[in-house]
Amino acid sequence: MHELLLFASVPVHQHHELLQQLAGLTAMQPRHSVERRLIFKAYRKPGLVTSRVGGSQDLQQSGDLQRVNKMLNGGMFYTQVVGPVSESDFSPAAPAADPDTQMEGMDESKPPVQGTSSYDFEQQPWKLEFRDIPEAGTRSAVTSRVMASAALPHGDIIPSMNAWGYSFVTEYVVEGDVFIQNDIVIYLHRVLHYPSGEQEHREPRRHLPVLKEMTPLEKSGSYVLQASVNVQDGSNQETMKTASQRLFGLREQLKSAVRLEQADRLCLDTRAK
Amino acid sequence: MASLTSDQIKVLEQSRQRLVQLTRSLGSLIASLNQSDPLPPWSSLQSQASIISNNLVSVSEHLSDHRDLLSSLVAYPGPDYPGRTQASTLEQLLRTKLDPRVEDWVARGRAAGTEPPALDASNLNPSAVAAAAQAQKPLSEAELAELWEWAPIEANQEARRRNWGGNFTLEEREAGIQNVVTGLKRQLEDDEGSEDEEEEEEEEAEESGEDEMEVVGVHRKSGGDGFEFEIAQHHAHVVEPVVPLGEILRYMTTGRMQ
Repeated sequence: MHELLLFASVPVHQHHELLQQLAGLTAMQPRHSVERRLIFKAYRKPGLVTSRVGGSQDLQQSGDLQRVNKMLNGGMFYTQVVGPVSESDFSPAAPAADPDTQMEGMDESKPPVQGTSSYDFEQQPWKLEFRDIPEAGTRSAVTSRVMASAALPHGDIIPSMNAWGYSFVTEYVVEGDVFIQNDIVIYLHRVLHYPSGEQEHREPRRHLPVLKEMTPLEKSGSYVLQASVNVQDGSNQETMKTASQRLFGLREQLKSAVRLEQADRLCLDTRAK
Repeated sequence: MASLTSDQIKVLEQSRQRLVQLTRSLGSLIASLNQSDPLPPWSSLQSQASIISNNLVSVSEHLSDHRDLLSSLVAYPGPDYPGRTQASTLEQLLRTKLDPRVEDWVARGRAAGTEPPALDASNLNPSAVAAAAQAQKPLSEAELAELWEWAPIEANQEARRRNWGGNFTLEEREAGIQNVVTGLKRQLEDDEGSEDEEEEEEEEAEESGEDEMEVVGVHRKSGGDGFEFEIAQHHAHVVEPVVPLGEILRYMTTGRMQ
């Protein structure tokens, strides 16, 4: 599958207005979405023979070795594991009541452990989303890249990811609103950091903090507007052209509100170096 | 009777071409209205309308530029005109009055173009005529500017006088809200009672120092003073993003900022 994209930066004061404009344009109410995103990075498995160039007398074998190594280590990418969560999965806001009153209220529906929600990490569905580095040198003014996604087992996906040669890098939360217009998925979103002060996590969190305590990556709270069209057959020039035409149409319609444009290719570089 | 010079023929030829263009664009608009289902998007209708209006302008310019020539021209059949077989065309070419239908159009157009604003014919005293002449005269630049300066302030003041919120005006409520024609399919609720609560909630939210974006009613003044108006709403809290888009995308891709 191919993905064609346009991006725009939306200052925070424009966010509410743009939501309304998009709701009008797409004739739908925004679908709010909150996602956990885990970043994984492919690593070079230890124990693989590194071919010593010119070190081997046996040219035939060296060629084979190189080929095998290339297959194993050639394409090393960052990849994302995305898990949808709902706002109720986050810890409830720190209750005004102190623990004492909680002890009294045993019959309350709240779980007995303070500050936790009904969030069940073991039941968290995950989806692997692979994105290639955007294609270089395309003349059309949209970002286009190969993409693929696959469902993963629920719960702790670290063992499976490790088995595939990926190590956990970091995680963040993306909150935003989705609109659909014909083939175009419009996603107005921003990145939220987990509250600082916690120690660096080496694996995905099993509990989610209070949503209000999450801090936006962009301190002013600005949003990113992403318009994307997915194309099943990226080799078909005709459909690719139609898809980018659609995006240009949207860009024209939103011209007075935001400026959608192609993203810098290297910013979306998923290759692991 | 002098025969036409080549320049004059060229003028006739040009008017023919422009008229052909006009009929073509009219024809394509009619065809797209008749044939496409659902109707074509408004943007395409609008562009077609602007093409037609451009054509009209060019035809009318052309006709008025060459008014002298065109009004003095007379058509007559040459001796070799096939009058027997092409009689109907000949009649069209030789008629001196307009087609009755066309005459109606022209009359309607003239009336629309020169219509005085609702002037009562029986009441022809001089002051009324003078007032009508005054009303017809377009405003001067300065007057227009003055009007534009005056209007937003006045509109804003008028708006501030009212207590905004709710779906109905006081007049409508007094006359009975069931009589109001909203043009909506859904039933609007008369939310008079809940208004105060909402405002209180919002005030609380603002006081507790939440992010302003979570307060949807950020444009509403908390003092119960009505709304902050749209005129002032924009750019009241302009905070340009600090982190460039590229950096955000880079972080989203690799979890690192460089």
